[in-house]
Amino acid sequence: MTAASDYVVIDRVAKTYNPGSRQQVDAVTATSFSVKAGEFVTLLGPSGCGKSTLLMMVAGLDTPSTGTINVAGQPMAAPRAETGIMFQDPTLLPWKSALENVLFPFRAMNRPVAPFEGRAAQLLDQVGLAGFHDHKPRQLSGGMRQRVAICRALVYEPDLLLMDEPFSALDAITRDEMNLVLMKMWHDHRRTALFVTHSIREAVFLSDRVLVMSPRPGRVVEDVAIPFDRPRTLEIGETAEFNRICAHLRNRISH
Amino acid sequence: MTVIDTVTATAARAPVRLRLVTLDRLRSAALPIGFAAAVLLLWQVAVDIGGYPKVILPAPSDIASALAANFSEICRQAVPTTRDTLAGFCIAAVLGIGLASLLTVNRLLRDAIYPLVIVIQLVPKIAWTPLFIVWAGIGWPSRLTIATFIAFFPIFMAMLAGLESTDGSLVRLCRALTATPWRTFWLVRFPASMPYLFSGLKIGITLSVIGVVVAEFISSSEGLGFFILKSAALLQTDVILAAILVLCLVGLASFGLVHLGELAVRRWRGD
Ligand SMILES: Nc1ncnc2c1ncn2[C@@H]1O[C@H](COP(=O)(O)OP(=O)(O)O)[C@@H](O)[C@H]1O
Ligand SMILES: [Mg+2]
Repeated sequence: MTAASDYVVIDRVAKTYNPGSRQQVDAVTATSFSVKAGEFVTLLGPSGCGKSTLLMMVAGLDTPSTGTINVAGQPMAAPRAETGIMFQDPTLLPWKSALENVLFPFRAMNRPVAPFEGRAAQLLDQVGLAGFHDHKPRQLSGGMRQRVAICRALVYEPDLLLMDEPFSALDAITRDEMNLVLMKMWHDHRRTALFVTHSIREAVFLSDRVLVMSPRPGRVVEDVAIPFDRPRTLEIGETAEFNRICAHLRNRISH
Repeated sequence: MTVIDTVTATAARAPVRLRLVTLDRLRSAALPIGFAAAVLLLWQVAVDIGGYPKVILPAPSDIASALAANFSEICRQAVPTTRDTLAGFCIAAVLGIGLASLLTVNRLLRDAIYPLVIVIQLVPKIAWTPLFIVWAGIGWPSRLTIATFIAFFPIFMAMLAGLESTDGSLVRLCRALTATPWRTFWLVRFPASMPYLFSGLKIGITLSVIGVVVAEFISSSEGLGFFILKSAALLQTDVILAAILVLCLVGLASFGLVHLGELAVRRWRGD
């Protein structure tokens, strides 16, 4: 099913931790899927089914035991500078300001920082942190920190955005807010996105496609297209169609 | 609330808060000073009334006059002590930070060297002093070596603990951002370890003073340690206590320097 427009191609990828030892864990069994350029795809599955493992392999932070991963036509071997990444915690430098944290990727990549200060400030304004550029992480709420992390993932204009349950540590109300912020940012900065969550509603709200994973050892068992138009508002969560899709996904997860 | 309301409210509250802060500051300085004054007074009265011999327990006033009478001599002796303390500490800091950094970046070196450092660390460092005097002679080089040796361990251990405690997810982020190990070290591990390092440096500077004074006890012809030992031979208890007072000041000033360094580093880090 590999087409020319497939940006991320996962081909029969499996991951076994500590092979041959007594602590051997089959985290992911041979699974294949692909993500088209500009598409927002979510991996949905129960905790421990190997979602993070898969995402880290796409990020180049981990290597598959078997199978191959291609990103932008290149086989993945090591992390690439054109991938933006978000983790469950914001992972900010506690001693740096919000603005400095957004600029951190340029320092890490040893690129000049000054030319991007304007863009970083603009991104912070876009996620609603206009008055908080100079605040330290400890002076920000959990949701605000994750907003800084979104800006940090976008500031160097990556072509691929990988997000590992970025909002699962937040309360329900903040989480809805963050979904809207992410939608808006993704709309403005159109990137190929691979998102991981165990929240069915979050998956349906954000995605063009939801890939359901089986319990460990995980593999993709269903590929569900989400038909809602963009831009989306939280109101679509009340429609019968939205709830029908959620019910179907819930069914597939628990069999 | 309107803008005017806010401004008036702030203006009305501000002097009260300011007065409270000043009172608080005053209190935290006045209490220990007052307590020390009370103890000194009690001491003075006890010696005056009890009539203890001056050789056993000189009164604070005796110590003050001994300090005045020997002031230039004590200050002259304080110079080599201070110099060796600071120099030994600085060398220990460079070696401690350097070796800890090296062991964090290189896994093989860490596994080879770290256990040995722990073993050496277990031996009471002060027991090595005579050996260093045999090796480096009775001049300042041996005192410097001892100060360095004794101050090195807390600095090294604290720095290593700091570097290794760095949040793993920050390091992973650096890897995802294609940062080299060296950049990860400089941008994340090193600044993250600063609070640890300074707790180690503060122990290090205290131990450095101890090392120098002990070395001066054992074999020296200069320094406050030498001067104290000489005064003890002459049973000049008041002079000993005057010298200890100056030694306290030397220790306090060195500690203050480390604290200033900490403030400077915080500013560099952007706290
Ligand atoms: N570094 C590792 N070493 C050993 N086992 C691991 C490691 N990372 C993850 N696992 C195991 O692999 C399985 C999948 O983990 P993960 O991908 O984190 O799941 P998810 O993100 O879906 O919750 C789990 O059973 C987990 O315990
Ligand atoms: Mg996970």
